Amino acid sequence: MTCRTDSFPTATSKEQARVEEILLQHRPPNDQPKPHLQRPEHLNYLLRNLRQGFPERFISQDCSQTWLVYWTLHSFSLLGVALDPETKQRAIDTIMACQHPDGGFGGGPGQAPHVLPTYAAISALASVGRAGPGGGWDQIDRLKLYKFFLSLKQRDGSFLVAHHSEVDVRGTYCLLCVAALLNLITPELIKGTAEFIASLQTYEGGFASASQPYFSPDGSGEEEEEVLLKEPRPALGEAHGGYTFCALASWVMLHPLLPLLSSSGTSSEQQPTINTRNLVRWLVQMQGSEAELGGFRGRTNKLVDACYSWWVGGAFNLLRPLGVGTRSATSVPTTSPPTTTPPKGEGKEEEDAWTDDDESLFNRAGLQEYILYAAQHKAGGLRDKPPKIADSYHTLYSLAGLASAQHNVFQVDETKEKLRAAWKPKEGDDPALDEFHKTVFAEARAWTEEVGGSNYVNGKVDRVNATHPIFNLTITHVRLIMNHFYAQE
Amino acid sequence: MSSRTSSPDFPPLYAERPEWSDVVPIPQNDEDANPIAPIFYTPEYKDATDYFRGIVKTGEKSKRVLELTESIIRLNPAHYSAWQYRYQTLLSTSSSLSDELTLMDTYATEFLKTYQVWHHRRLLLTLLHQPPSSPSPSSPTPTTTTSPTHTPTTTPPLPLQAELTFITSALRTDAKNYHTWAYRQWVLSHFSRPELWSGEISFVESMLDEDVRNNSAWHHRFFVVFASGVREGDEDREEVRRRELAYTKEKIALAPNNGSAWNYLRGILTHTHTPFATQADFVLPYTLPYPSPSQTEPLDKDVDVKMTDEDKDTDKDEKNSSPENTVVDLENPRPEAGADLPSPLAIEFMADIYEERGGKEDVLSAVELWKSLRDEHDTIRKNYWEFRINDALHPSR
Repeated sequence: MTCRTDSFPTATSKEQARVEEILLQHRPPNDQPKPHLQRPEHLNYLLRNLRQGFPERFISQDCSQTWLVYWTLHSFSLLGVALDPETKQRAIDTIMACQHPDGGFGGGPGQAPHVLPTYAAISALASVGRAGPGGGWDQIDRLKLYKFFLSLKQRDGSFLVAHHSEVDVRGTYCLLCVAALLNLITPELIKGTAEFIASLQTYEGGFASASQPYFSPDGSGEEEEEVLLKEPRPALGEAHGGYTFCALASWVMLHPLLPLLSSSGTSSEQQPTINTRNLVRWLVQMQGSEAELGGFRGRTNKLVDACYSWWVGGAFNLLRPLGVGTRSATSVPTTSPPTTTPPKGEGKEEEDAWTDDDESLFNRAGLQEYILYAAQHKAGGLRDKPPKIADSYHTLYSLAGLASAQHNVFQVDETKEKLRAAWKPKEGDDPALDEFHKTVFAEARAWTEEVGGSNYVNGKVDRVNATHPIFNLTITHVRLIMNHFYAQE
Repeated sequence: MSSRTSSPDFPPLYAERPEWSDVVPIPQNDEDANPIAPIFYTPEYKDATDYFRGIVKTGEKSKRVLELTESIIRLNPAHYSAWQYRYQTLLSTSSSLSDELTLMDTYATEFLKTYQVWHHRRLLLTLLHQPPSSPSPSSPTPTTTTSPTHTPTTTPPLPLQAELTFITSALRTDAKNYHTWAYRQWVLSHFSRPELWSGEISFVESMLDEDVRNNSAWHHRFFVVFASGVREGDEDREEVRRRELAYTKEKIALAPNNGSAWNYLRGILTHTHTPFATQADFVLPYTLPYPSPSQTEPLDKDVDVKMTDEDKDTDKDEKNSSPENTVVDLENPRPEAGADLPSPLAIEFMADIYEERGGKEDVLSAVELWKSLRDEHDTIRKNYWEFRINDALHPSR
């Protein structure tokens, strides 16, 4: 099926037709060998960025230095490559130079603290950091970080991304990830945030970047206190792949905590809800047709772009906690060994052939084809679409999308129960707060790669490591950093 | 860019300017640092940011800081720390916010895709139009927006109208820019003045006339019509529903494979609690392989579309007014000649109608349609159609 213009061309359909023509040239003919993941080229590309750095046109990324590091480090992890101790130490030192004296991390040394680079910094430290002097983890000023986060909180449950800056659900997601990894989530921090997330869902089913709150004076009398109205609370901006991922991942983190919030008396309100059915429909509609090689777009009637391989393709793994998806998570899977094993690891008996019992909601083979055929740049690194050049952002999110198209990762109930049973409460902690921390920990740590559930469109040689559906770190890295900050195991 | 010499395009480095000699520039990294993934800066960027770090350290907020932050922003509009410090400096120095807004007009078109440009405008506009007492907008219900106390007398309405005009011109450069649309929606909902809202429907129609596939414009329409409350002139919700349905169906007829219009149709129906089945007559011709000539029977005899009594009630007007006359049916415009039919979006919609009805045979009809999507019309989503089939046949799963 090619572009259906209905004999009524507009700017959108013309662009679409142009891109489909280019993409079709990248579909390998049936009698030709299929392109594989160009591991050596990508590794060279990543190494070059790490060692030689970036040319001056990357000044536009000067406030995303922690991101450049995170994108590069996690790409290495997905490709199954561990770095030498010296490079790791340089990475830790580079990140720690971005910590602000008032708490939080900036996009570079001497920059103001901002939630987004803070997420990238903590994620990078999860990849290469360690406990003890010089390891990064114990040099994070968690108390100041928590105060910084609280200072960004708005009356409608949302967060600014930085002081005097915008409200944006990317900020909510980044803040919750950091707080979950570092054991900083409290009822105070997240009160009203699930309601904010729910308000972002648009009529299309996906989520927008922010919403407009309205307040009315409380009718009850002397108090000047204004009350947040349930309606109207319109979404600002249309449904979008990046924001949808951030909203959904935030929702999956917050949802198990809502019953604990209401029982502790912090929220007497009815619990917020999202429309899962519309969400699923919107997510699957983001996948491009065969003419687009099965890549994902980020908005209705926009062009496919490899970064949505993760933002949209990766969102499917997050649907199971919402009760969507046919694969039962209650069955005991053959749990996987730590996932940072090199891709050539022999321990697994997966077949090279595509298995027929693929019960995913999206076309996993199609997404893999887009990444392998169109997103790889010959010179190394991955890109939005041909004929663009590669960049660090698209390299990571293409590889992460490839991971989510190859592997099933889901929360295993039994693992969750085991983690809860083995939980060691922190001395002196209030029991309600302890239950809260235990839940955050067990929910995040229960995500497991299903062994035997992986599929490779052109064979296992293209395998990348699985990635945690919420944090986009390897499952091993999540385990290590969370065990440290929750003082478990 | 790296081999800069003194030229009219490049003012001298801050390090070369005597009026900055009192500031101690701070390099980004310590001397012995060996950072990974470094960026190679141009001399002017390094110079400006070194001086910026020096200024931040002393906390100076003066007129010259405005010049410095502008230099940095011009070289890197994503430098959020420079924006943040600039905003604080504007306030501390009591600088003219209107002048700043004028400067932003050129920035917005130059740096359309950066968050900071649009957010800075928002900060400025908030201060420029702050009502003396209440810092937050109240609910845009008809009672409050029409109440005389809500009429702005302290601030002139003109600049905000001009703001919408400015946004319209920015959208001419980039008709789907996310920040620009979100900013427009913020201006409307934050200030929530009747005169701002009044032109929005005709604005959005002109955008959709330009490109009926512009999803940002469709979302804006939903924002204006349904999501942001009821305003004066729009209290007759039944009339609004009718108007929106007619408009959307007309646009679907133009381009039946336009997902934006179908999503909007779904949005109207869900928001107004209208059963999808009310649209069965409209949708059916779009599920067929080619447009049937308009003189023929509207319903294909092979496809049995049963209306429930409730649906019939809702559709009474359109159906009973001209039971035999199938030539002109304004409520149910048919696909234009040249349409690529059947439209998978129409087939999906029809299947949803059947599923919504829920009878045993209805579900089987839905399953047939999903199978046709899975096997023929929308094969990339075959797993999803399979999921829908299983879900409908085994709802307990």
